[in-house]
Amino acid sequence: MRARPAGYGLLTPVLALLIAGFLAPTAIMALLSLRSYSGMQGFGDDWTLANYIFVIGDPYYLLIIGRTLMLGLIVTAACLVLGFPLAIYIQRARPAVQTIAILLVIFPLLCNIVVRSFGWMVLLAPRGLINEALMAAGLIATPLELMYNLTGVIIGLTQIFLPFMVLLLIPALQNIPPDVEAAAYTLKSSRPRVFLTITMPLATPGIITGSILVFVLSISALVTPRMLGGPTYKVMATQIYDEFMTNLDWPAGAALAFVLTVIALTLIWGANRIAAHFTKGFAA
Amino acid sequence: MMARNPSWLLTLSAMAILLFMNAPTLVVLIASFSATEYLTIPPQGWTLDWFAEVLSDDGYIRAITTSLILASCATGLSLILGTAASYALHHRMVRGGDAILSLVMAPLVFPAVVIGVALLQYVSLLGLRGHFIILVLAHVLITLPYVVRSALSSLTGLNPQVEEAARVLGADGFTAFRLVTLPLLKPGLVAGGIFSFVTSLDNVPVTIFLLTPRQTTLPVKIFASVEHGVDPSIAAASSLMIAGTAIVLILAQRWVSFSRFF
Repeated sequence: MRARPAGYGLLTPVLALLIAGFLAPTAIMALLSLRSYSGMQGFGDDWTLANYIFVIGDPYYLLIIGRTLMLGLIVTAACLVLGFPLAIYIQRARPAVQTIAILLVIFPLLCNIVVRSFGWMVLLAPRGLINEALMAAGLIATPLELMYNLTGVIIGLTQIFLPFMVLLLIPALQNIPPDVEAAAYTLKSSRPRVFLTITMPLATPGIITGSILVFVLSISALVTPRMLGGPTYKVMATQIYDEFMTNLDWPAGAALAFVLTVIALTLIWGANRIAAHFTKGFAA
Repeated sequence: MMARNPSWLLTLSAMAILLFMNAPTLVVLIASFSATEYLTIPPQGWTLDWFAEVLSDDGYIRAITTSLILASCATGLSLILGTAASYALHHRMVRGGDAILSLVMAPLVFPAVVIGVALLQYVSLLGLRGHFIILVLAHVLITLPYVVRSALSSLTGLNPQVEEAARVLGADGFTAFRLVTLPLLKPGLVAGGIFSFVTSLDNVPVTIFLLTPRQTTLPVKIFASVEHGVDPSIAAASSLMIAGTAIVLILAQRWVSFSRFF
């Protein structure tokens, strides 16, 4: 390996953009999260940990942080429960059916998140399709509250991140030699037992990568929680949005943003370590 | 090998899950052609009025134009900068290549809303808020990982002797790159470019913090309109985005197979 001057020429624009447009803004936000809040100028002159103590100590913020983490766990579990049968089906289906099924998984992935969340609003609203259909069928007398609460956000986020889980589970399942499952069946193992003791453990790297990805994306999501949770049911990302755009308490917003970043980066780092352990040095 | 066909229970669950995944898009498409304010199943009559309303609305036209110009500028710039950087990284022309690559990929693992607020603070402090170039650069930042990832994987699949042969035959470095390497990289760059274009077109969590009240992009406009309630013209605007995505995908298939996506 030998350094060539042309290399620096080719890399300078990208490095300049990353330093001036990503590293500097992040560093400055880290510094400003350590400044006190002043109603007049936005932030004061003295250094303080008050914003972090405020964010981690206030019951309201704790509720929002706890709710966000719980939301991440539920959405991840839902994506695993729905993703596994679909991934197994796609793996076993005939090639022609396989192609169509994969297209139906990829198409929603490429559709805009605002558009998909809007679709859920049409379905879940008090006078939306689902409520109207249930009322027309005489199953319920008053509309169910499917939106502007936890239920709506879970349904929306699960649909939005499910494609990632399925697309990561398919290769994980394909890596399992079919002979192993066949051997277990020959030895008279039941289907659930083969799934729990053979398929699941062998697919672990895919399950971990998919789960961490879905969890991190769910706790960072802004658009879907805002549209399906409404202005009052808040998660960390929507609270950060409000601190910056409505309350104009930038130091508190910055502190909350860093709490979210630390959770996300720690999980990704941990997942890479675990995945590397499972795949013996092959970076996931 | 004992191939096992999916059982009927598995098939049925898979169909239900695929329906769940595509239901919101389907509903938006049906709602945008439905004659009634509120969608009913089956719809009571069909109309194109909502599309006429969107396409005659100055606000929507400006948002669509801004979105398309922004995505084109960001993708173009991202392709140029990303290809140059990938070339240098692939040929190990500088020290610390791994660290540089991690830095390029960092905006992908950072929560988007955090990048958004960090840029908002930074741009406000520098007094640059509202300049279109800031939006373009922010979008280059978030699309660069996709371009670099596909450019690097294409470069890895390339036979280095082809470019060396061009050099031996007297081509200078840039000519050899332009006439030999670049055409071979084209499928990878088209795939990266498409992903970059769609990413830029879709972005809300970074864009929304950098817009001034007079600017807007299509997804941000839809996002903001929803606060006033669900109405069929929002469905029509959304359908236009779905159609746009589908067209990009169909055009893309001429160069790239879908297997690239996973």
